[in-house]
Amino acid sequence: MTGYLAKRAGQMVLTLFLIVTLTFFLVQAQPGDYATFYALNPDLPADVRAQIKESFGLDKPLWQQYLVHMKNTFTGNFGVSFGHFPRPVLEVLAERLPRTAVLFLTATAVSFYIGFFLGKAIAWRRGGVLEYAATISGATLFTAFTPAFGLMMIWIFAFKLGWLPVGKFLDPLIWRGAEVSANHVFSYMLVTGAAFVAFAFLVLLFFRRSGRIGPAPLVGPVIGAAALAIPVAWAFSDIGFLALDILRHMILPIVTLTLISFAGTMLLTRNSMLETMREDYVMAARAKGLPEKVVRDRHAARNALLPVVTSLVYSLIFAIDGSVIIEGVFSWPGMGMTLLDAVRSEDLPLVMGSMVFIGLFSLLAHVIVDVLYVYLDPRIRYQ
Amino acid sequence: MLHTNKFLMIIGLIMALLVLVGCTREVVTEVVVTATPGPAGAGSTAEVTPTEAAPETSAPAVATAVPATPVPQQAGTDDVEYVYQIGISADLTTTNYWAYLGPDGTIWNLYVLGGEKPVLYTYSAQRFDWVPSLAADFPTALQEETVGGQTFWTTEVQLKEGVQWSDGTDVTAEDFAFTAHTASEMRLPGNWPSIVDPDYFDHAEALDPYRLKIFFKQKPGLARWQFGLAFMPIMSRAYWEPVVTAATLGGELTDQQKALFAHVPDNEPTAGGFGFQKWERGAFAEKTHNPRYFFRDTTVTEYTSGAYAEAKPGAYEFEAYGDAGGDKALEYTVGPYAESTIYSIYGSQDATVLALKKGDLDFMLNPLGLSSGLQKQLEGEDGLTVIENPSDGMRYLGFNFRKEPMNNQAFRQAVATLIDKEFITQTVLQGVAFPMYATVPEGNRAWYNPHVPQIGKDLTRGERIAQVVELLKGEGFTWETEPRVSEDGRFVEQRGEGLKMPNGQPVPAISILAPSPGYDPLRSTFAIWIERWLNEVGIPVHADLTGFNLIVEKVFDQQDFDMWILGWGLSLYPDYLENFFHSRHSDLEGHNPGGYNNPEFDKLADELLAETDVDAARELVFEMQAFLAEDLPYVPLFDTPLVEAYRSDRVEYPYTHSLGGLQNASGLTTLVQFK
Repeated sequence: MTGYLAKRAGQMVLTLFLIVTLTFFLVQAQPGDYATFYALNPDLPADVRAQIKESFGLDKPLWQQYLVHMKNTFTGNFGVSFGHFPRPVLEVLAERLPRTAVLFLTATAVSFYIGFFLGKAIAWRRGGVLEYAATISGATLFTAFTPAFGLMMIWIFAFKLGWLPVGKFLDPLIWRGAEVSANHVFSYMLVTGAAFVAFAFLVLLFFRRSGRIGPAPLVGPVIGAAALAIPVAWAFSDIGFLALDILRHMILPIVTLTLISFAGTMLLTRNSMLETMREDYVMAARAKGLPEKVVRDRHAARNALLPVVTSLVYSLIFAIDGSVIIEGVFSWPGMGMTLLDAVRSEDLPLVMGSMVFIGLFSLLAHVIVDVLYVYLDPRIRYQ
Repeated sequence: MLHTNKFLMIIGLIMALLVLVGCTREVVTEVVVTATPGPAGAGSTAEVTPTEAAPETSAPAVATAVPATPVPQQAGTDDVEYVYQIGISADLTTTNYWAYLGPDGTIWNLYVLGGEKPVLYTYSAQRFDWVPSLAADFPTALQEETVGGQTFWTTEVQLKEGVQWSDGTDVTAEDFAFTAHTASEMRLPGNWPSIVDPDYFDHAEALDPYRLKIFFKQKPGLARWQFGLAFMPIMSRAYWEPVVTAATLGGELTDQQKALFAHVPDNEPTAGGFGFQKWERGAFAEKTHNPRYFFRDTTVTEYTSGAYAEAKPGAYEFEAYGDAGGDKALEYTVGPYAESTIYSIYGSQDATVLALKKGDLDFMLNPLGLSSGLQKQLEGEDGLTVIENPSDGMRYLGFNFRKEPMNNQAFRQAVATLIDKEFITQTVLQGVAFPMYATVPEGNRAWYNPHVPQIGKDLTRGERIAQVVELLKGEGFTWETEPRVSEDGRFVEQRGEGLKMPNGQPVPAISILAPSPGYDPLRSTFAIWIERWLNEVGIPVHADLTGFNLIVEKVFDQQDFDMWILGWGLSLYPDYLENFFHSRHSDLEGHNPGGYNNPEFDKLADELLAETDVDAARELVFEMQAFLAEDLPYVPLFDTPLVEAYRSDRVEYPYTHSLGGLQNASGLTTLVQFK
């Protein structure tokens, strides 16, 4: 495994090199550059425009600019953003990441949970009303035009019914007196979420290792108690009301994202389950007289999990890229909008920084999935 | 294998962490910045410079209004705290005023930061008279003076006494001198060189705290002094001097500039109606009222006679442009009336409109105004008022004078004659745009010449074609087949073919670069119709609808084109006529990419640059417009009105009709009142 990982690390460096090169030349292939913005101000004399180009390094030959960006990439210094001059690129990305991570990781988790649950159910009871209803509605929502669907959701739930806010991630009237930044709250929310997942995982592991897995009566209550402890603890904190405001703003985008994407997981799970259900060990489990629920959940669903987990890991990793459309419609400025704005304005350092960041996470996702295969399927061995 | 006790310990630790995270009381403050004083009244201090902005697309229809959100109460008091809520569609990129007028010169920074620093002079509301702000009166006349063997042009300005920064210190002539010297000595980029032009400004001296003397290297025209340096936002010397000193200590000039722009202001003194309070990146910015704002309670009156008056009880009175008296055209008292102004950031114009309809916002700022779809949605909504104002812009068709036949005046006039602007704007575009004939927009009343030749106006198709045939034949153009119009004059019966130039060569294939429909459907519509009409008479034109950046590159950077359609947002003082059409700007990346070169026009443009008298400058500008309308380096095509909406059930403004709309005055934050 060590040799395999070393080989993959080498491949990652090479792939990253290609990503950076391709990104650089694609951005450069666009007509104009960031200084075009100033070229259209006739009050600026030619020497001042030249000075602006010089200050952004845009006066240098293309190959020199390429070498500078390549060096920046592999030294972790992406320079300063043109559009947020003179803020460092990493600072801009660090500002956008927590917002995107909180929204999209939550939405991905919810979407996968619903998708997996429904996929498992409709595969087990084929031909039922649930299968038709879930498949038709899921496929319809899956193919919905996202911007229009997002606006429709806002129109119904925020505007017509007035239950939820019209986009954004906070209410200025609540936050204007706040002494902490939204990113501070987002970071704590992320830590809480991560800690809860780790806690739940360890609880499950603990009961499994201690031989008490199965209908262990304590698993649910312990995890449930932790889940209850979180809101109680937040409620007593200074920033609980701020987190609550963020949560209120998250509902609509999460519901929209879930409705749009759960069908993918549902259909994947269903197909995987249908294949697994034809396996001999499922028949053997039934022949042993095990209850249907146990056969479905512990024999069929667990073995059908491999492609779903792969998909989940990819989705979780790619969640940090955000989504231009969802972020735009719900006024949630995260990684997706940052990349789009940077490309539009030819803010080259920010484009490069975003792409390297996304590229790195994508490459890591592939390695994680490969390693995960070994643990999920003991038949797989890497040489 | 992990031992059970270790598991329990880890689980316990994580539980403790969860509780700790939730119970945290740590306080971290986001960037907190301070800003700004502004002129008496509402006028934005920053000139709008010619820029190009991408139009935003319209949204699907949405619903009816809901009641406005209740006005929040100030904690601990019975008084109502008015919060003026404005929607914007992009985030700030800085709160540093040097950077905002430098590399971060976005329109969104202007909306939030602009107009809040003290300036010597400003524009009056609606009429755009040039009036004193920090200055007590008009400056002394420019005079030539020799100091230490060097000749300067100098002027003196008396400042108002009693104008204070929010820290309680006076705004003085030293602040002005410090700001101008910093911009000049550090060669600050962006908009700074057009404010403090290094070719003209030499230095400024504080004769005493309230008397300023400015030294110019050469005689400055209106654009460089009255409508340039006099509008410079003034920074607090006490706050910024240590920052500037630290920035200039190390590195090259660009590093020094970067160090200055990187400074994040904290408790920077303000002298405007509001001071910067909070910036929650990506969500909102807030400015709170400045209790020391000097111009609060100042009454401004504009008379129909043209006179202008302002008075602050017990402080000062000022009158100009005639004797104050008679009918009043406008009167208001300066606030601010809001405790705070919040700029809420939305991801799109559609989302901003929904928030306005829902009552989350009082007003929304957008440089392009509302699209016609959104305008129709909002018209008639309870509690909302939609207003329409002329904008200070122009969309035009330009020619490359380096190529034949575009360098032929008769050919350009023929093209102008064939374009039926009224038909496209009224019939095809259903009135969302209005035709233009002069190079200064009609809305800019002080500088617009209503008597320029209007080539092609109100002609039938038959008359247009007959005129074009006569024009081109008179210049020596010939056809193998002349175009012919049907007897009723409604359609072209015989298309022109084989058009030849006076030198006997066929007219080459001509391309018109124009923005694609996705970027701007209005300009692409014009391009398509122009292609059709020119083809009908035998001019082989093809409309090349493409990306905006590509057009800019081909036109401005490479000058590789025949004709092009683009647009400009314009400044009030029309010195842009010199920038666009003087032959000195026709080099690569210059603003006269068509290479228009007419010594007669150059002379007029040079005179305009040197002119120091407003009336004489107006005469020159009128003459230049008439000249251009005939010589046609540009065929002005159209402009669009600026449509805006506000919650009239919550707020009211002293006026709503103004060139460039309320957004040109950044939403009238110091004048808006609450119901």
